[in-house]
Amino acid sequence: MQLTHKKNIAQALAIASCGLVNPVAEAATDDRFFSGWDIDAALMYYGEQDRVQAIEAIGDFQKQYDDESQLNLKVVFDSLTGASASGAVAQSQHQTFTRPSGDGQYIVGAGDTPLDDSFKDTRLQLSANWIEQLSLEWQSNIGVYGSREFDYTSLGVNGGIERSLNKDNTTLAISAAYTYDLLEPVGAKPVPLSAMAIRQDFISEQAFRQAFNLTRGDDSDDKQTLDLILGLTQIINANWLMQFNYGLSSVAGYLTDPYKILSVVDNSGTSQQYRYEHRPDSRLKHSLFALAKGVVAGDIVDISYRYNSDDWDINSHTFDGHYRHYFSDDFYGQLHLRYYLQSAAEFYQPFLLMGSILPEYASADYRIGEMTTYTFGIKFGHKLKGDHELSYRLEWYQQTPKNNGTALVGQLQQHELFPSLTAVIAQVSYSF
Amino acid sequence: MKYLWITLLIFVSTVSTAAPSLDVMVADKQGQLVSLSEFKGKVVYVDFWASWCGPCRKSFPWMEQMHNQYQAQGLAVVAINLDTEPRFAEQFLKDLPASFSILYNPDGDIARQFDLQGMPSSFIFNRTGELVYQHVGFFNKQQKQYEQQLIDLLKE
Amino acid sequence: MKLKICLGLLMLTLGGCSSLGVEPWQKQHFAREDMALNHEKLDLSLDDHIYFSKEGSSGGRAFAGGGCGCN
Repeated sequence: MQLTHKKNIAQALAIASCGLVNPVAEAATDDRFFSGWDIDAALMYYGEQDRVQAIEAIGDFQKQYDDESQLNLKVVFDSLTGASASGAVAQSQHQTFTRPSGDGQYIVGAGDTPLDDSFKDTRLQLSANWIEQLSLEWQSNIGVYGSREFDYTSLGVNGGIERSLNKDNTTLAISAAYTYDLLEPVGAKPVPLSAMAIRQDFISEQAFRQAFNLTRGDDSDDKQTLDLILGLTQIINANWLMQFNYGLSSVAGYLTDPYKILSVVDNSGTSQQYRYEHRPDSRLKHSLFALAKGVVAGDIVDISYRYNSDDWDINSHTFDGHYRHYFSDDFYGQLHLRYYLQSAAEFYQPFLLMGSILPEYASADYRIGEMTTYTFGIKFGHKLKGDHELSYRLEWYQQTPKNNGTALVGQLQQHELFPSLTAVIAQVSYSF
Repeated sequence: MKYLWITLLIFVSTVSTAAPSLDVMVADKQGQLVSLSEFKGKVVYVDFWASWCGPCRKSFPWMEQMHNQYQAQGLAVVAINLDTEPRFAEQFLKDLPASFSILYNPDGDIARQFDLQGMPSSFIFNRTGELVYQHVGFFNKQQKQYEQQLIDLLKE
Repeated sequence: MKLKICLGLLMLTLGGCSSLGVEPWQKQHFAREDMALNHEKLDLSLDDHIYFSKEGSSGGRAFAGGGCGCN
């Protein structure tokens, strides 16, 4: 998942703001390993109507060593069930699909968006980060990361260095991360753009198996990601600060989603076959991020804008903001608004047309198609005795995919090819 | 790349014309102006602090200890509060009582004259009122060193 | 050449920055825990995970990262 860079700047700011030692430092004069930790824990539920449901639990453990060093350990566990869109289009007749393993099939009713419910997934992620204050001006950090789910393993290292200038009003940061991901798809990697073998088209199980195996490639593949972030944090005045990041991310390797497919339709819009998607084996992404955060009459406001652009032609704009109001010293409420807008990848197409030449790359995964999303969230928090805090939040997430200009043929005009999706996020957090 | 470092250096090394000195007037709790030169003849440890500053919470017990241990030998600890509102300072002092001198500079003009680089900042003057040492921040590891500096100056 | 332009821009930015900011004793708001940039870091990381899984772009504020079979 995400490696954190933001925490380091925050640390630097804590230093900028209140002198040259992190305020958390007070806690840690005890030498024993198990004492002196600051712990943040959260339990989140994510649920889409009729689709994916997920539970994610996080434990974040932080400990200060002397004035200069800080250790951060994080454990994340998540569990996912339910179905997600396979990429195939809805049809007036029911549709039969072969499961990715080749064992069994699933049937999608007339008019329904094809969802693949084959998977239940459980993921465990561990990460450790060490921050070292090298001098009054310089700070470094280094971290390792690993996660494992049944078909996916990820290992990463990251490091960064920060320099504060101008009486700690300015912080420059550079950080880099390298991630190695190993994918072991269920039923092996599909042969790119090969047609799905379906049992009913074959006279025997053996003939079907033979055809299915022809759509299968290697058992595993990998991808490597190199991330670089340059950051500038600037205190503007007594109430406001700003952060600017430029990020470069280069991904190389197997970037195709082995479980996603495209419908191949004839002139009447009727599916004749399904083909496994194929994406380019590299992606170069740029991002610009700007954040302003400030105190307004004792309340906390932040607004941010992010621009992403990549060589798959996915460009996106993200606007995000929070407003936290303190009803009393120990009770606050917070609003969250987010708006996201993305253009489609150049090889995105909602379906393939029978008889036309197969493109080299094609994907009908709506997540790389054109879409807008909205998030609205509320959160409440109680500060309790001894610096403990209990908070809970509820968010609504709405995704509205759009047609990127593809002409819909025949029966496709009668179906919802770009269905909206609504999700609810509920979370409880406790810090102590 | 060289230019970058030069530029950076310029930023860090910009020296203010104002100089830390004991010839300043600072208000006490009652608002009476006190001249720091009244402490001349002693080794004067001038500390700038604020209630919201984390490391200041660590420096106060240490300053209290230094005060109790060395006041008889001629050490004066003077902690100048920079909170904009004195009530925050009062709460801090309730938590961390201090028997050394506490003065108040809510306008920050004295802090500006001392050209503070961070919080807390401390300035150590010898018995003749010359600035000898200055420290930015407060580090547990350096307590011994700070104390030794005081001891050496007290011997002069 | 590009590097020089970048460095020039950086210096302009830094030059601009050096006139911004406040004195060390004027930073009481920045000492607030809720003003830290990694405040609510668990919320941020959970949000990142959701959006990473559901949208085509990721990263920006922190590393885009890998390690999720979801996209």
